[in-house]
Amino acid sequence: MSTPATPKTPALLLGLTALGTVGVVLTGFLKGSERFWANWILWFLFLFTLALGALFLVALEHLVAARWSVPLRRVPERIATLLIPVVPLALVALGAVPVLYPGARPEALQNPLLAGKALWLGLPFFSFRTIVSLALCLLALAVFVKGSLSQDETKDPAYNIRARRFAPAFMAIFAFVVTVLAFDWISGLTPEWYSDIFGVYLFAGGFLAGLAATTLVVVRLQGKGRLAGVRPDHRFNLGGFLFAFTVFWSYIGFAQYMLMWYANLPEEIHWYRERLEHGWHGVTVALAIVHFAIPFFALVTRDAKSDPRRLRGVAMLMLGAHALDLYWLIFPVLGQGVLFSWPELSFALAFLGLGLLWVRRSLSWGEDMPVGDAFLRQGLEFRL
Amino acid sequence: MSDFAVLGLFDSADALMKAIPQVKAKKLGRLEAYTPYPIHGMDEALELRRSPLGGMVLAMGILGALTALGAQYWISAIDYPIVTGGKAPWSWEAFVPIMFEVMVAFATFTAGLGMLLLLNKLPFFGHPVLNAKAMRAITRDRFALALEADPELDAEAAKAALRAAGATDLEVLPFPEKGPFLTSDFILRSLGGIFVACAVAGIGMYWAIKLVPTLIPITHMLEQPKVNAYEGSTFFADGRAMLTPVPGTVARGYLPVAAATQEEAAGLANPLPRTPEVLALGKKAFTNRCAVCHGPLANGQGSLGAAYGAKPANLQAGQFQAGGDRPVPSGPLGPPQASGAASQAKPGPGSGFPPYPDGKIYWTIVHGKNAMPSQAADLTVDERWAVVHYVRALQRAQNAKDEDLP
Repeated sequence: MSTPATPKTPALLLGLTALGTVGVVLTGFLKGSERFWANWILWFLFLFTLALGALFLVALEHLVAARWSVPLRRVPERIATLLIPVVPLALVALGAVPVLYPGARPEALQNPLLAGKALWLGLPFFSFRTIVSLALCLLALAVFVKGSLSQDETKDPAYNIRARRFAPAFMAIFAFVVTVLAFDWISGLTPEWYSDIFGVYLFAGGFLAGLAATTLVVVRLQGKGRLAGVRPDHRFNLGGFLFAFTVFWSYIGFAQYMLMWYANLPEEIHWYRERLEHGWHGVTVALAIVHFAIPFFALVTRDAKSDPRRLRGVAMLMLGAHALDLYWLIFPVLGQGVLFSWPELSFALAFLGLGLLWVRRSLSWGEDMPVGDAFLRQGLEFRL
Repeated sequence: MSDFAVLGLFDSADALMKAIPQVKAKKLGRLEAYTPYPIHGMDEALELRRSPLGGMVLAMGILGALTALGAQYWISAIDYPIVTGGKAPWSWEAFVPIMFEVMVAFATFTAGLGMLLLLNKLPFFGHPVLNAKAMRAITRDRFALALEADPELDAEAAKAALRAAGATDLEVLPFPEKGPFLTSDFILRSLGGIFVACAVAGIGMYWAIKLVPTLIPITHMLEQPKVNAYEGSTFFADGRAMLTPVPGTVARGYLPVAAATQEEAAGLANPLPRTPEVLALGKKAFTNRCAVCHGPLANGQGSLGAAYGAKPANLQAGQFQAGGDRPVPSGPLGPPQASGAASQAKPGPGSGFPPYPDGKIYWTIVHGKNAMPSQAADLTVDERWAVVHYVRALQRAQNAKDEDLP
């Protein structure tokens, strides 16, 4: 396994990203700050949850001492490095707080429900939580990914012990960060509304996105003849994970909806009313179809879970579904119906292009497999 | 009689795997391997067919979800629609958890029973290998390849083939002398029989009750220890079930109304004071005798009206209001309602209807009106007047003004 040459960045990808970036800047000038920030939050959260999901997959391997995923581990490790560009994106996103988040606006003091939470919802503490989350993510990145990359050279088994010790702590960090993202950045858009399961809902979506990105890159690398030794058995486990968490996401999403639908409490149900009226009903149904029905039946058979073409299709669909999920969570608060036009397209191009460029670049970091890991051979021997 | 199988024992999994293609090429019988642990690649080497269990589980899971959906839809929306929690009878959201659980139940039972009984034919206590001398070794550290009768087996040729493939020991297994008692077929047939019996009993019971609603013992309270109309009784000498009143007498508490028509009754005044005790009595009598049609708010929205298409009077309508100025409250609940004569003096403010006197309500309770039967036999005079008070209280509660707030 020799390190392949850095792939030449295709002009098309660069061009589209540049075009998207121009669209992003124009949106800020032409379409008003609310729409600009809503898009920004959507895509920064998309990259953040995706990278966090990938890092969770890495941490899960260390936590439960999994062996099958060792040969694949470098892929989620590389995807998790997206957390580095997410840091500036998140810091810029703090500019959205006084615009879109009612709890951080001066009018909040007039609202007795929000005035009591002013300290928590206000910009200073909001920023503090976000910055702490970012710092914790970078710490986890340094322990897991930097350590793993340097193990390629040193072959030092101390890394495995260090990572396994850190993994339980990372689970607490992960829970904190996902909760901050879910409750501050998404639920905070409608501060009178709350749902206890919301953090789990975002976790399910984010982990699915991380899994889908990992699967996509694994299939892509295998198509190019890299990752030699990774068998259909390994892909089957990725497919099984995707399948299981598709159901998990649907279970959480439906449970949240059904309890609120049943209780029909005015302070809760309005959140769903907004998403079942004014054109949003179609988006809700589409979300159920692309996030549950299609992936479920596409992956239900045994062969499909290891079929590279099927996996690639489902993984791409799942990434789109995660973006749609975030769109469905964020955009109804603008109260302008189902917005989709060139600003949304530009943001998608710019941020997806940025993410792709970063991941392409990251594919040359370290070996394709963690060659310094003593468990690699055991992982390659994995059979169903 | 030919033998069931010839076992060839190998010392390692690799030796076994190498032997399989050699023995298979000779086409002497069905190949089967017995090993202490699962060996990767065995399915492909033996060319075992892909298990149909996954498809069965998927099909049964979908069937389970549809069964739960159909059952709930039929019960909730067709056979016995009841509005619960303000939801429409067809509320698919409420059905989903039960669909999910039934789907899981169908799928897991299919997976477990299908794997054990249908596909692996377990339990199989009479399997000849269980009696083999090599059985101990097979479950510990040796690997057996068996050539099994399909349906006949040439034992000598099989021995030669296995030995040529590298088997270190050979054992011939005869057919068992008698079949085992407990087989998967027996269990499957029993389970099927129980299922069919339950289905027949359930569907039969449903239709039996539907067609013969008073089938003993389910008589729906038709059988009661009482004398029905036109039935004779031996209790009294004249053969009646109840004694007739002595001519010219009236039962205590059941004085007849001193009015011949409802218009005449308009002049009657409510003799009862408006105290919490009277209102409690009125509420009890109203709830027991009136609310089923007129509704708990006296607005004509009772449960019987909806079920039988009757149109009970809406006592909240303007024509039934007492009208006039409200009596000034004095004491806890104010003085007794002004009598009908006083109420008649002033029409109800803004309603456009003349005031409806208490006595008319009383007269209706006693004599009934249109489809409403007389309540005289069931409510005493005091209870009737208490109901009048209570109806007035309901009317006032539904038309409360700002001044009524404490």
